[in-house]
Amino acid sequence: MSSYPWRLLAQLTIREIRAKLSYSSLGLVWIVLTPLALLGVYSLVFGLIFKVRVPEGLGVPFVVWLAVALWPWLAFSEGVMRAAGSIRQYGGLISKVPIERSLFVWSVLNATFVLHLLGYLVVLSVIALLGIDLQWAAIPHLILVLATLYLFGLGLSLLLAGCQVFIRDLEQLLPILFTLWFFLTPIIYAPQLLPESVRGYLYLNPITWWVEEVRAGLLGGQWLPDTTLLGLGLLATVMLVVGAWVFQRTSPFFEDFL
Amino acid sequence: MTRPLLQVRGVSKSFSQTTSVSERFSSLARILVTGKPKLTLPVISDISFDVSPGQSLAIVGGNGAGKSTLLKLITGVMEPSSGSISKTGSVAALLELGAGFDPEQTGLENLRMNAGFLGLSVTQVETHLEEIIAFADIGEAIHEPVKHYSSGMVVRLGFAVVAAVKPDLLITDEVLAVGDESFQKKCIRWIEHYLDQGGTLLMVSHNMYQVQKLCQEAIWLDRGVVRQKGDVFAVTQQYLAWHEQKDAKAIAREHRQASLGHYGIEAMHLNDAADGEAEVLSGGTLSVSLRIKNSEPRSPVVLVGIVRADGSPVYGVATDHDGFEVPTSVNGYISIACHFTNLPLLPGVYKVRAHTLDAEGLRVIDSCEQALIVSGQTRELGSVRIPHHWGNP
Repeated sequence: MSSYPWRLLAQLTIREIRAKLSYSSLGLVWIVLTPLALLGVYSLVFGLIFKVRVPEGLGVPFVVWLAVALWPWLAFSEGVMRAAGSIRQYGGLISKVPIERSLFVWSVLNATFVLHLLGYLVVLSVIALLGIDLQWAAIPHLILVLATLYLFGLGLSLLLAGCQVFIRDLEQLLPILFTLWFFLTPIIYAPQLLPESVRGYLYLNPITWWVEEVRAGLLGGQWLPDTTLLGLGLLATVMLVVGAWVFQRTSPFFEDFL
Repeated sequence: MTRPLLQVRGVSKSFSQTTSVSERFSSLARILVTGKPKLTLPVISDISFDVSPGQSLAIVGGNGAGKSTLLKLITGVMEPSSGSISKTGSVAALLELGAGFDPEQTGLENLRMNAGFLGLSVTQVETHLEEIIAFADIGEAIHEPVKHYSSGMVVRLGFAVVAAVKPDLLITDEVLAVGDESFQKKCIRWIEHYLDQGGTLLMVSHNMYQVQKLCQEAIWLDRGVVRQKGDVFAVTQQYLAWHEQKDAKAIAREHRQASLGHYGIEAMHLNDAADGEAEVLSGGTLSVSLRIKNSEPRSPVVLVGIVRADGSPVYGVATDHDGFEVPTSVNGYISIACHFTNLPLLPGVYKVRAHTLDAEGLRVIDSCEQALIVSGQTRELGSVRIPHHWGNP
């Protein structure tokens, strides 16, 4: 991997981030504004209108409980969806300039992750400023959890990006699938709300584990790496290997099928 | 012997069926399982050549001959279906006008990114920045988004980056044609300098003048196979002659359709050569023989001219200029010939044109054209040899 164009990756990532910011008139302000507005909407709809309840005994407002899990999901889902389309997005470049193709997938994912993690930071800061106690000792643990989620996302992005060149319908299909995925993950509701007979199925969804792990850290004070984290690391590695294999296998033929 | 910079060995490329959804699906499955898709449309087949350091090679050929595909394979944008391509040293390719430019970003940002694609580090770009901007010479537009650029400005920027990279092997695909005269000259000067310094060039162009000027050798691709390979002059002359022939056939066909009752040119022969191309040695004799239909009592004025391959005239003369009486018809036909002795044309590809005009020499009745190759070895420049001598002033 020493010959991998890391510098170019950094350059592309920065360009991608700047492109996302500079196309809007307020630019940087949106980094702060979007997450707060989004948080407002979610708490209005689910907290006030649907009156979703937080699991008992945690003692945090619904908004906080939601926010902690929502941003990792946003980074993951939007990152993967955009990265899956990156080969088509950069099609013109790919058919003219001989550079490593995975750079595009990677840089798009990176840019989305960076922007959403900045949003996460803003939201967590606002929560702290409002005087709600988060378990700050769990931050290192949180970083590890997010890192494994990122790797899982990278693997999935490579897999989908490779396939999307051949099967263009994925472009239309992915947003629907990710919306479904969102509701099948206990982000806006607690697993305890579900009847016991179906609750178990939630855990077939890998993102459930990540979400629970994030909450266990920031809200539950879990700060030592545990077996769940180890399992998530393993899962992410497997996903990455599979995704990279598919991508490496399909990428020589992108130009023919773009 | 130095190791070639580029070795192309038995390279073939076929495309896959990519239209229907099920074809794409099965292609994906096939690639995942076997590593290769099902191939159906051959584009180029079994091409081999070497490019050594310091060499300059042109690839010529008609539209759809597979030139661009070959370059894409060489640069690594596409994988060959079979055969191998090995490269040593750095390669920079200008495959298309503004390839790799993001229209939303400014020229400067794109310049940095493109330099990155070509392998320059950020610090290298900064050290060369002044030089690149000066070479592109597009003024304040460098801070404008590229979408506002003219195509010439885009080429300027693209070429400026390549010029800064100074690759071991430079690959260009018909990109210089877009810049204006002065920028084209600048690029050509740069390429000449680059070649003088030991640079290596692989170019695709339809401009035979540029090809002959910049390259020593050429490959002629025709429908995906190498038709001829060798010295640039030999290949380009054959290639142009082949085009002339195609043209001449097309013109002949039109001609026959528009065949005229009288003063129509039935046949034109150059030195008794058969239809198609004629070859004559520079300094030799060229005879243009014509057979003209005539049912009128009066004879037409006949004009014979020589033009260069691009159509610019070299010399033309009519029977009434010389006061020559066109013979009257025998059995409805006039036979006439114009002889050029000590032909002063320099080696190259020309066309011989013949026209019949009405008896007053005012209206062109019919035209006919045929390719002429003038062969010979000389380093003189231009189209004709003008009598001269050197001496004291």
